[in-house]
Amino acid sequence: MKNNNPISPHIQIYNWHISSLVSISHRISGVINFLFFIFLSGWILLSILLGQSYEIFYTFYNTIFGKFFLISIIWSFSFQILSEIRHLFWDFGYGFDLKISNISGLVVIFGSFILTIFIFLVGRQII
Amino acid sequence: MINATKKWIFLKISSIILIPLMMWFIINFVSIYDQSHTEVLAFFNNQPAKFLLSLFLITAFFHSALTISEIFEDYIHVEKIKIVANKLLYFLAIIIPLITITVLLKFNL
Repeated sequence: MKNNNPISPHIQIYNWHISSLVSISHRISGVINFLFFIFLSGWILLSILLGQSYEIFYTFYNTIFGKFFLISIIWSFSFQILSEIRHLFWDFGYGFDLKISNISGLVVIFGSFILTIFIFLVGRQII
Repeated sequence: MINATKKWIFLKISSIILIPLMMWFIINFVSIYDQSHTEVLAFFNNQPAKFLLSLFLITAFFHSALTISEIFEDYIHVEKIKIVANKLLYFLAIIIPLITITVLLKFNL
């Protein structure tokens, strides 16, 4: 029998809002971070166990893709940190107001880029 | 206390621990990622880093396992696949940090 029940509209139908953008980015960056944790464990294990062959990582980080990878990871960490702080505020009952939640959403989006630059500069000992 | 509440509390505690650890880790990672092998080993070999990195890996995998199982809950609609995916996720989230931390702690320059 064919199911003719109405189904809820797909995500593409809705207008983009700050709340939905931050929400889906939070999930995506979370999954990226999980994959990165696996990569990180591999990096730690291999750099301890491999010895000379460590060169592969060195070469990888110096390619364009390696640099893109690094910047993406910093961004994904920054986004996750800021967005998680926003969630913690919600859990304590603050910031539910529509206007405030839109502002905090914008702060998370723009803040993640600023934090990315900041982390990069601090990490590279430029500032 | 019901399971969902427990899960929520575990999530919140692990995220509070993770926020400073993530900041600490990413700044250090940016500074050592393209260093020579010896310098990377020297970083793993010093004491606060060893401890913090282990704590970071445990909390990160713990938090990821809980949150990604939520994502499976939302997007995988076939019950059998969901169970297998969750089992695989929990298995990875235990075995990967376990192996990494064992190697990290056993290792001496």
